[in-house]
Amino acid sequence: MSTYRRYRIPTEPAAHRAPHPNRFCVEVNRLELAKLLLHELLHYRRRLSVIASRPCVYGVFSGPIGGFAPRPEHCVGCLRCTVEYPEVVQIRPNPERMQLGDSCFTPDLVDTVLYEASTGRVPVRGAGYRGPFGGEGWDALWTDMSEIVRPTRDGIHGREHISTEVDLGAKPRMLTFDDRGAPLGRGPTVVSLAVPLLLDRAPQVVESRGLYEVYRRAARTLDTLAVIPLSRAKGMQEVGPEVVPLVTSSEVDELLSLGWAPRVVELDGWDGAAYGALSQGLPRSLICVRLPMNQELRALAREGVRFFHLVADYHGRAGGRHAVDLLRERHHELVAAGLREQVTLVGSGGIVAAEHVPKAIICGLDAVALDTPLLIALQARFLGEVREPDSARVEVPELDQDWAVQRLLNLVASWRDQLLEILGAMGLREVRRLRGELGRAMFQAELEREALAGIAGFRS
Amino acid sequence: MDMDAQTLIARKHSQALHQGFRRWPRMGHAPPALGDRRWTADLILSTWLQAEGGAPEEFGLEYRVGASGGGFDRLAFRSLPREARLPADAAIDTAIVLNRRPYDGRVEIPVPWYGSGMSYGSVSEQVMLARAMAAKSWDTFTCTGEGGYPDSLFPYRDHVITQIATGLFGVREEIIQWAPIVEFKYAQGAKPGLGGHLLGDKATMAVARMRGSVPWVSLFSPFPFHSVYSVEDHRKHLDWIKTVNPEALLSVKVSTPVDIDMVAVGSYYAGAHILQIDGSYGGTGAAPEIAKKNIAMPVEYAIPRVHRYLLEERIRDEIVIVASGGIRTAHDVAKAIALGADGCALGTTELVALGCTRCSNCERGRGCPFGLTTTDPELSLLTDPEWGAERISNLYASMRDQLVEILRRLGLSSVGELRGRTDLLQYVSDESVGDGEVGYDVEG
Repeated sequence: MSTYRRYRIPTEPAAHRAPHPNRFCVEVNRLELAKLLLHELLHYRRRLSVIASRPCVYGVFSGPIGGFAPRPEHCVGCLRCTVEYPEVVQIRPNPERMQLGDSCFTPDLVDTVLYEASTGRVPVRGAGYRGPFGGEGWDALWTDMSEIVRPTRDGIHGREHISTEVDLGAKPRMLTFDDRGAPLGRGPTVVSLAVPLLLDRAPQVVESRGLYEVYRRAARTLDTLAVIPLSRAKGMQEVGPEVVPLVTSSEVDELLSLGWAPRVVELDGWDGAAYGALSQGLPRSLICVRLPMNQELRALAREGVRFFHLVADYHGRAGGRHAVDLLRERHHELVAAGLREQVTLVGSGGIVAAEHVPKAIICGLDAVALDTPLLIALQARFLGEVREPDSARVEVPELDQDWAVQRLLNLVASWRDQLLEILGAMGLREVRRLRGELGRAMFQAELEREALAGIAGFRS
Repeated sequence: MDMDAQTLIARKHSQALHQGFRRWPRMGHAPPALGDRRWTADLILSTWLQAEGGAPEEFGLEYRVGASGGGFDRLAFRSLPREARLPADAAIDTAIVLNRRPYDGRVEIPVPWYGSGMSYGSVSEQVMLARAMAAKSWDTFTCTGEGGYPDSLFPYRDHVITQIATGLFGVREEIIQWAPIVEFKYAQGAKPGLGGHLLGDKATMAVARMRGSVPWVSLFSPFPFHSVYSVEDHRKHLDWIKTVNPEALLSVKVSTPVDIDMVAVGSYYAGAHILQIDGSYGGTGAAPEIAKKNIAMPVEYAIPRVHRYLLEERIRDEIVIVASGGIRTAHDVAKAIALGADGCALGTTELVALGCTRCSNCERGRGCPFGLTTTDPELSLLTDPEWGAERISNLYASMRDQLVEILRRLGLSSVGELRGRTDLLQYVSDESVGDGEVGYDVEG
């Protein structure tokens, strides 16, 4: 009997629990409004339906006393009211909303993540792109799309399945067989995830048993992994295969003494002795080494390390450089050494929007570990710039566990669907083929050099 | 509600809106929440001003560039010194031909642009009609988009491009036979590689009837054509149209992938007269946010790539390149041509002329609160087709005047001479703006 089960993330609406600032402030000049109404009463006489017709189709002025008590929570910023009656009403961007997030996780990105977390849906809007032309980091990169002659089609709207499954762990360069056709040596030792998104540890200031319990439950439902510091993981009521204990060198002995054999263990920083002890003590576990994204990998990969978690700060930088450059560097380094196919790269830091996931994978990652977007999805508030895990100041509201789990499921479902959109546009049938597919990426600097070369004043 | 009341309500709000479109550009300040990096408040207000019949430079609005920090917003023209410019009364030709093949009919339009495809369903019939009336008065074209051909467009059929896209929504034999140009849409810049998507709320009874679909059910135009896997298949499509309407010119609308140059060559050999390259920063319809900035390249990069490659292949003068997807102003049109296009197609610009504030709520509920991107029977009454046609015509007139002025300053007597002249462009860097070295009209 077939055990095939199509991967599906259970989404359902999970409305915001904490107050969230409206996008716009609606300022009504009551005197002018009264004058307008008086004028209309005289002009339209007894046609109350005409007089009562408001310049808003979203209900901002549809309360019991209309524009005298507007309802800014309904305002979508269409500006029809202020175009029609400039003296009566003004719509302003809400300054309180501009305080959300920080310089990396901008208010617009916060709003987008909150929408995704509350609905599980792909954000859809009209009227084209509204932002800067290009920029730094992820904004300096466009993904390709297929036009007419590439074979894969329809994945997102029907006929063909697009796989988001990834394999994490160690993969031998080739399989070898004995005379009787039986495989020799150690085969691939991998953990397969249905979605290339892991849940990374939270900043120290917000770590709690409750938060990690939410992460763990979400990871289990998503069929993915949650990276949780050992000190927190060991106190949990239940630790299943979804939990990846994050251990420092000094905690290795403690982990080994627990008699727990997780599928994956993450070693925080490189320590050869600790790595050896983990490999020996937990022979069935995959050992992942957590390193700064700007650290070279070739030597460690040659020593046999096959699984890395590359970490940038929450703004996507390590050693002063952005993940876009660092990931390509790490990827190429392993390609040049002939080791890339045998090694798994997971990355985190600065991946704060759905589009950053395919871009990070194109730059060389196998999978992405989510950090700050998880907190934003739970309506956490940033207090100042949130850059480093040990110094970040973040406030997480009191969590209802079921609600919080649902918010994370919704977020991941939305991001996965958006990944499918990108894969569908590119004509790729599986996310594994996106990894390091730099020929299908377009970098602003290169495009600009080609397009604008020779134009006076242009310097590449 | 009785019809009189409905008419009165529509009149009340459309009068107030018209007054607002007239007043806001003249108020000395913009609505605080208006505009974005690509379409700044100044660009929107100056477009309203031009649609009203005003000169764009009035009231100190920046009408030439947005604030996106790249692409067209980084380019200026290297005008000649004053004494070397063409005289103010010099005859300057802004016409372009849309067929450069040695066969098929000659089609010329007096301005180097026409209206881009916006379907019935994504916009109201009134908006389609306004665009068609303006196209007729300027002897240029508008395009149906993929959603059928309302009967009201029939009197304007000599100026209407019939679009055939992957869902074949609303395609009938006669609308191919009526069309002077038939456009195959392979992809669109708003959502490259994703096909079309009309949300269920906008698939009204009338829209569904026109498209031959089920009301209130979302409609996807799959991506790409199921019957096209090669340039040869593409050729078969174009041959099919030629069989139905031998007189029609053939246009192929594509997005901007890495290999846009190869796509262009393929379209040429398949028999296209026009290649419309639709950059990823435009688009009027609802699209997943992830598609807007992240898939396919901006048109500013695609134009020179295609132009140069076709030159190298020695086929550049046999195919017309029309750029779209992010063309906002007359200056953008001129820059696109200087980068290598023959002309442009306008979509959002026309909607802004009709009062669009680019609030991005096109897909929400009943659709556009200004009655543009909606088929809601009440909201769509806010746009009177004749009023709309006049506004688009006024905008065209202003854009043409600006184009003539740009050409005059460059010493060019026809827009055709501007094509591919990147030597007439100046890159405006942060430093040069900061130093006050160059502005957006540089004396070279």
